[in-house]
Amino acid sequence: MRTKKIAYQLFALFVIAATLLSACGPKAASGQLNTIALPHDWCNYGGVIDAFKAKYPDITVNELNPDAGSGDEIEAIKANKDNKGPQAPDVIDVGFAFGPSSKAENLLMPYKVATWDSIPADAKDPDGYWYGDYYGVLSFLVNTDVQPDVPQDWADLLDPKYNGQIAMSGDPRTSNQAIQTVHAAALANGGSLDNAQPGLDFFAQMNSAGNLVPLIANNGLVAKGETPIRITWDYNALSAIDTFAGNPAAEVVIPASGRFAGVYVQAISAYAPNPDNAKLWMEFLYSDEGQLLWMQGYCHPIREADMRARGVIPTDLLAKLPDVSGAVFPTLAQLDAAKVLITENWDAVVGADVQAAP
Amino acid sequence: MNDNLGNWNEDLVRELASKQARDSKKPQDNKRSLKGFPVWSWVWYLLGALYFILPLYATFTFSLEMKRDTLSFLAYEKAFADKEFWHTFGYSNLVALLTILVSALLSIPTAYWIRLRLPQARRIVEFITLLPFVVPAIILVFGLIRIYSSSFNIPFTDIALIPPLTNFRAGTTVLLVAGYTVLALPYMYRSVDTGMRTIDVATLTEAAQSLGADWKTIMLRVIFPNLRSALLSGALLTFAIVVGEVTIASFLGVPAFGPYLFLLGQHRAYEPAALSFTSFLLTWMAMGLIQLVTGGQGQTTGAH
Amino acid sequence: MANTTISTNASTPSSLRKWVGVVPFFLFAILFLILPSLRLFIGSFTNNAGHFTFDNILQLFEEQSILNAYWLSIRISAVTAIGGGIFGFLLAYSVTVGGLPKQLRSVLITFSGVASNFAGVPLAFAFVATLGRTGIITAILKDVFGFEIYKTGFNLYSFLGLSLTYLYFQFPLMVLVMTPALDGLKREWREAAENLGASNMQYWWRVALPVLLPSILGSMILLFGNAFGAYATAYALTGGALPIVTIQIGAQIRGDVLHNPGLGYAMAMGMVVIMAISLAGYSWLQSKSERWLK
Repeated sequence: MRTKKIAYQLFALFVIAATLLSACGPKAASGQLNTIALPHDWCNYGGVIDAFKAKYPDITVNELNPDAGSGDEIEAIKANKDNKGPQAPDVIDVGFAFGPSSKAENLLMPYKVATWDSIPADAKDPDGYWYGDYYGVLSFLVNTDVQPDVPQDWADLLDPKYNGQIAMSGDPRTSNQAIQTVHAAALANGGSLDNAQPGLDFFAQMNSAGNLVPLIANNGLVAKGETPIRITWDYNALSAIDTFAGNPAAEVVIPASGRFAGVYVQAISAYAPNPDNAKLWMEFLYSDEGQLLWMQGYCHPIREADMRARGVIPTDLLAKLPDVSGAVFPTLAQLDAAKVLITENWDAVVGADVQAAP
Repeated sequence: MNDNLGNWNEDLVRELASKQARDSKKPQDNKRSLKGFPVWSWVWYLLGALYFILPLYATFTFSLEMKRDTLSFLAYEKAFADKEFWHTFGYSNLVALLTILVSALLSIPTAYWIRLRLPQARRIVEFITLLPFVVPAIILVFGLIRIYSSSFNIPFTDIALIPPLTNFRAGTTVLLVAGYTVLALPYMYRSVDTGMRTIDVATLTEAAQSLGADWKTIMLRVIFPNLRSALLSGALLTFAIVVGEVTIASFLGVPAFGPYLFLLGQHRAYEPAALSFTSFLLTWMAMGLIQLVTGGQGQTTGAH
Repeated sequence: MANTTISTNASTPSSLRKWVGVVPFFLFAILFLILPSLRLFIGSFTNNAGHFTFDNILQLFEEQSILNAYWLSIRISAVTAIGGGIFGFLLAYSVTVGGLPKQLRSVLITFSGVASNFAGVPLAFAFVATLGRTGIITAILKDVFGFEIYKTGFNLYSFLGLSLTYLYFQFPLMVLVMTPALDGLKREWREAAENLGASNMQYWWRVALPVLLPSILGSMILLFGNAFGAYATAYALTGGALPIVTIQIGAQIRGDVLHNPGLGYAMAMGMVVIMAISLAGYSWLQSKSERWLK
């Protein structure tokens, strides 16, 4: 009898747990939108999502893995081809190179937003499969409490006073941001958008001088002072300063030479379970309102030129954006070539002496 | 009490017997060093404590530095302002308990059967239990989604035996628990297996059967209670894994603690430290509760 | 081995019926582990265009960087398995046979439960905050003892530093798995040995350790696998520097850059093979050591 009692108790526990779990979380509403890889502090996506929810209160936004990289987003589309549930992403925000490659794999659904014409031609697919959403320029985020002597350009990073202080925001073998960091260093080191090799050499120099720390830098490490100089997109650096709120004191520097712009693109999944809501999302993002929200996150929205011409950007918002004149935009071909070069040679050129460690 | 060492070492016995004969002329020297103060035990424990506490302390002190030039709990206030914190923590706790239940129910009979009836299967089962170490979580979750996002029909018909699990919350929870059971399998199975080896299930089963016990009674009243210590270890390991897990939860779109923590803190400076310290403490407290509920350590015959 | 039989009805052939007890396990493993991971196996023979190829497998043996990655992973797993095994055993010993008060045992066990999964970015940050250039230990050593560890060539972002960090979850794992085994050391054996005049060393060397050896080996292979499959901690702490296999795999199948997933899957299959070999080695050692139990 005791065994029966235990069995019933376990079963009851199981049922209660399962019921509680089912009750948790957003109810299956008729209107859903599944997003992926949108950290709230990246380009003010937190504000964007809140504003979208306020505008369409009947749509439930399911946010999948905010940590995902572009590759993960594509993989998520592929894995969820048959899935109409909340795990299948409707819309994606991926690196520039992923636009054409996903279109080639038939993973995208074409859609041209109302403001299509004001998106620059070189930042969108003519058939409407993918379209640039915002861009940023690589910059240095400096914790001035720890390092008051702020580097102004790439060449300054080799100075011995920055020994053990500089870190990138990703691993150059996997991260868009890190690869483009190396590519950007090439610009300031005698290379060009077509030739990223000087970038590798530059980082090899930085590493052997002991200035480069292999840590993946994040804002916590910058604040701690362990990586007081972090190379990252200007919008990340500027929003970091906001979150620091003076502790630590920090500055953002757009390097004097070698201004490298990185573009991200939006697309709707061909297998989206909620294509209509996906289209509403795109219309929202590419409306003046959506673009301005991105601007509040310090990103340069793709329709910036058009909006400036029409004078719809508030002057105080304009004042917050750093001067990025002279920034160059690599083409897809240049990005591809650099990626191959950097990912294949990073270990050999830069990581060599670390491999010899005990 | 059955001393199941058998004839494990006749040499030692002979050696000791002759030593005793030689020593019998000398006064007996009681070398019971353990009856004295356990110096070395304290040394190991304190060294361990130092190693474990320092990094936590470092995280904690950093989390207090959010306000410039003073120590404060500002980072914690910001972290706990959101009630989603408790909602997701509770959800993950529940999922963890379910996972512990499922993996225990899976591991105990299997380990038992292998010990007693099917030692040939031992290698393949152990190999399977080690596989979760080498299968990346992201492959696992995408694999689960691929397979279970369409319904499983009776062959050659359109009648669905199992609906697509990902389309409704309960089904997704099943997938989640299944995924976590897989992740926890190495730890739970190894704990249970070690426990069974220690208590010598063969003899216990024999003894119980000779007293007329049936299958169920043996499992529930003989084996299970003796496994308490091992089960506790397995349960604690599983619990920690589930509450801290991010990849599977975030791709399955469930409101779990791991993804929440990430969403909250990744781009901040001080809040992540506060959150990781807090979740460490909270999980520790939950562990303490688990230990209380399972009745403590369940030591077998009192070691010494 | 004991010939214990559990009474069942004799309608199906006994050789087949023997497998009944493990059916749930295999069913679960197939449904939720093997099938979802099949992509690993199939994918390792697929190239980027989707065609069948052996190139990925061949690349494993041809590319020096991949072989180095495997060797590095094996080394760090072995070092932390052995180091973690030894000190973890000593910790487990101290709270069981070693005679420390019961409350200390509770504290250690519950703490180990949490610490065993403390990994990734939070763990990396905790160690940076302790032993990094701005870490508290680094600061104490400099301010109080005048000793600057970074001048001696020590670097947290190295093999040594990563091993130290890995141990944070290896020690607790060893403690949790060995404690039940240590509990099982019967008092009678100790008393019998002492009655025969054995010293402490002799008791441990000839009685206790042989009995514990299978469990110790089993725990160590668990630690090895645990470290072998670890990814997040290494990525966070030494991201660009130490190219262990899991990071290489992540680079191929995830991330922001278009890569060769087939190669990634092939590398993962390589890891499966290495685990199988380790398991074989451990099984052989274990069968030798289990003589002492029955």
